[in-house]
Amino acid sequence: MIGPSIEIKGSVSGAEDLLIQGRVEGTVDLGDHEVTVGESGKVNADITARTVRIDGEVAGDIRGTEKVVISKTGNVKGNIIAPRMTLEDGAIFKGSIDMDPGDAPAKVALAPKSPAPAAAAGDKGPDLDLKQG
Amino acid sequence: MSEQQSSQLLPGLFEAIAEDQRVNVLHIGPALPETVAFFSDAGFRCKLFFLDLFAELPLVFQPGDELTVQQRMSQLMDFPQDTRFDLCLFWDIFNYLDETAIEALVDCLRPQLAIGARAHAFAVHNTRSPQLPQRFGILAGDLLNLRPRPAPLPGYAPHPQARLQALLQGLTIKRSVLLAQSRLELLLHAAA
Repeated sequence: MIGPSIEIKGSVSGAEDLLIQGRVEGTVDLGDHEVTVGESGKVNADITARTVRIDGEVAGDIRGTEKVVISKTGNVKGNIIAPRMTLEDGAIFKGSIDMDPGDAPAKVALAPKSPAPAAAAGDKGPDLDLKQG
Repeated sequence: MSEQQSSQLLPGLFEAIAEDQRVNVLHIGPALPETVAFFSDAGFRCKLFFLDLFAELPLVFQPGDELTVQQRMSQLMDFPQDTRFDLCLFWDIFNYLDETAIEALVDCLRPQLAIGARAHAFAVHNTRSPQLPQRFGILAGDLLNLRPRPAPLPGYAPHPQARLQALLQGLTIKRSVLLAQSRLELLLHAAA
């Protein structure tokens, strides 16, 4: 754990899970382990780990090889790469989320099973449909 | 209290996406849990870009401003140059931007639209349609979640549909659905 009064500038790496309650500037690389930025944590760094959970503040890019979670108290400004991502109610996020799961095919279809309305063809103007309610 | 709204046109947004296609999605609005969950759980290959222009309102030039609206928009729309968006979500934003800001937005976006890009938007059929103080998220391929906004937004001045189409250079309104309170749901395609 990096305690609330600890401030680190540089590279943080290791082979165990890490809880950051203090300040970190630089890079955090925990490989196949878990990083949690606690509510009092302020990280200005890129983070790489298997699972990353953000309860505090992060400015930087985050790579989670398994999952990234931004909790209701989390505030992230940066780009995220993770196959699965959870944003909890109240979380603040600015940036992009790359969810490319690699070669795995889509688990579910995006469009519902009922056929979508046919698109207007050619130069014809837009269709106007009426909806109840 | 959030409410749900079914959508006739959202399926048309996704129907052109192949199962293994990698897509870039631009959401002009806040990142909401349900939107992230929808794309995450769908497990398809995507990159989501969130740009909350609502947080920048009013996007108008005022005396003393250092930057024009075009310059501000250009700074905000600062995406990697090689990014091409396949899907764009404009949930209500056009109702809060004046003509200059819409043109600036579209001017920035046009070069970054993928061939065959599609967009989904809300506009109005009658410009006297009341302001809807809600944020939009997506729950399913045909279902939206509407959350109340904590405070009303400035700059609500919706455009007639014909004028909006004229402003959206590079995007064509392919279908529209009239909703309650004279609101419109729009499906747009990038011009070929």
